[in-house]
Amino acid sequence: MVIKLDEVVISGLTKNFDDLTAVDHIELNVPKGSIYGLLGPNGAGKSTTIRLLCTLLKPDDGTAYVSGLDIIESPVQVREITGILPEEGNHTLYQTLSGYENLEYFARLYDVPEEEIPERIEELLTFMDLWDRKDDPAGELSTGNRQRLALCRALLHKPKVLLLDEPTAALDPVAAKRVRELILSFSEKYGQTFFINSHNLSEVQRMCDKIAIIDEGKILLSGDTQELRTRFQTSQDFRIRVVDDLEKAGSIAESLDFVTSMKKEADTIVVTIEDPFNNNSNLMQSLLSQGIKLVEFAEEEATLEDLYLDVIKEGGAK
Amino acid sequence: MALYKSILVAKVDLKMAMKVRMVKFGLIGIGALGPLMMIGIVALLVYGDPVIGLLILPSISAILAPMLGMIVIIPASMIAANALVGEKEMNTLEPLLSTPLTDRELLLGKLLSSFVPSMALLLGSIVVSEIGTFIILWSVGAEFILIPGIPGLFLLLTAGPTLIVAIVAVMILISGKVKRVYEAYQMSGAIVMVFIIPMMLPMMTMEATGTVDINLVWMWNIITFLITLVLAASTWALAVRRFNRDTMISM
Ligand SMILES: Nc1ncnc2c1ncn2[C@@H]1O[C@H](COP(=O)(O)OP(=O)(O)OP(=O)(O)O)[C@@H](O)[C@H]1O
Ligand SMILES: [Mg+2]
Repeated sequence: MVIKLDEVVISGLTKNFDDLTAVDHIELNVPKGSIYGLLGPNGAGKSTTIRLLCTLLKPDDGTAYVSGLDIIESPVQVREITGILPEEGNHTLYQTLSGYENLEYFARLYDVPEEEIPERIEELLTFMDLWDRKDDPAGELSTGNRQRLALCRALLHKPKVLLLDEPTAALDPVAAKRVRELILSFSEKYGQTFFINSHNLSEVQRMCDKIAIIDEGKILLSGDTQELRTRFQTSQDFRIRVVDDLEKAGSIAESLDFVTSMKKEADTIVVTIEDPFNNNSNLMQSLLSQGIKLVEFAEEEATLEDLYLDVIKEGGAK
Repeated sequence: MALYKSILVAKVDLKMAMKVRMVKFGLIGIGALGPLMMIGIVALLVYGDPVIGLLILPSISAILAPMLGMIVIIPASMIAANALVGEKEMNTLEPLLSTPLTDRELLLGKLLSSFVPSMALLLGSIVVSEIGTFIILWSVGAEFILIPGIPGLFLLLTAGPTLIVAIVAVMILISGKVKRVYEAYQMSGAIVMVFIIPMMLPMMTMEATGTVDINLVWMWNIITFLITLVLAASTWALAVRRFNRDTMISM
């Protein structure tokens, strides 16, 4: 028997809709306790992947293991240990039932022991700031409140793995931030594994330890978020302040062939370099070696945007 | 297979249905049609021409029973049309199907949520008919008979429930193929038309004179029951076998 160490292991998973291959032999390993981001443009196959993982759809080829359970052989057990926030989760509540009733129903469907249900619901609703709205029909809540309620529903039975399909889409920036914080604090508190679909780069960058990029059903790239974003960055900005001669520092920077632009802003210069993965140490060395005394040498945080656009372009060109 | 899960699904369905006034009063309205027609016909016969009226009343009583059955089949098909397609349309099907509910638990729950109110309507309309017609007979001092009579009650209480099961099963089969509740309603209309045919069989026994051979009525009642039993068993088996989360979700 194969020992599966990772919490979610996706192996050759494939799903066809008529002639369209929505998910095409994908391979992914999601470590236990991680927050994993599946990034991709519209129609890439993200939602289909989640629907396969929670056994709503049947794969045409390959399979996946959730906490060691095969999604094809043990669908009921897989559903027991997963919590799902469907796409447009805020529209998936029973509108005429109250928030409390929605959660109570699902707690029972997920076999939460009857005596623990009230406590569990109160804890979650309080945590999500929804306790005072618990008796309102779900249909009368705001989008943000409904989304958090749907998230409560996914968390109710303390699932080992959470599958969240675009948890912050349709939310305003404040509500989105709140949902991200909630996900992070749950991940910290209970060590659950989160598998999150998104096309929001900055969100994934902020939340996820690991990412994969999917397009046209194929995984184009996967790995550690931090590592990928520096490795694939095509350019990077540095804010530099020096003790005395800013002019000199500026002209040194400009003379370097990997520097693509240099701007002066009051007491600071902003230098843009290409291929930062290989060049960022060279910039500092050049300045120091020519006697410049640095007060500040700040690299602007790398974003996933370059990586994403790069990879999607390559994938799309095929 | 946990029965309490099915009961849970049915309870929540009913709770939601009852929160919608249109559904609640619509069902009661349709359910009231049967007894009203029944009582109306008896009143016409008894008050119109008491001599002939009272004479043919037993025959009428035997063949009017299917009418009650036909009328409560319609709400059954409507509730069942909503049971799965309604969840699809409300987008609640995906979270529901993501729970550990098994196919059987889910389908039995949906069957119960259509069966219970339909049976309640059927029983209610029988009781109202019996009481209403009793009052009419009593008011003219006629000898008391059950309307619907024993053969009619037999038909309603045997073929009624089996037909409801058959209709719900067919609606479950259809729900894999349609997206919208109104499409399901349209289909349900067509299905009711076909499925009430067995219920009409006992009515064929009425002769031109307005009388019936009670033995013939019994025979047809039993045949009807057997037909609906076969229908219910085969459609239900098919619905359970054909049910498939994948097509429910991807359609
Ligand atoms: N039930 C279905 N029937 C037919 N095609 C489908 C079905 N579901 C998805 N598809 C197709 O499969 C592809 C992948 O869809 P999917 O919903 O997984 O994309 P996604 O990455 O979630 O996109 P989005 O960001 O728009 O949510 C799309 O081309 C979509 O049109
Ligand atoms: Mg999607």
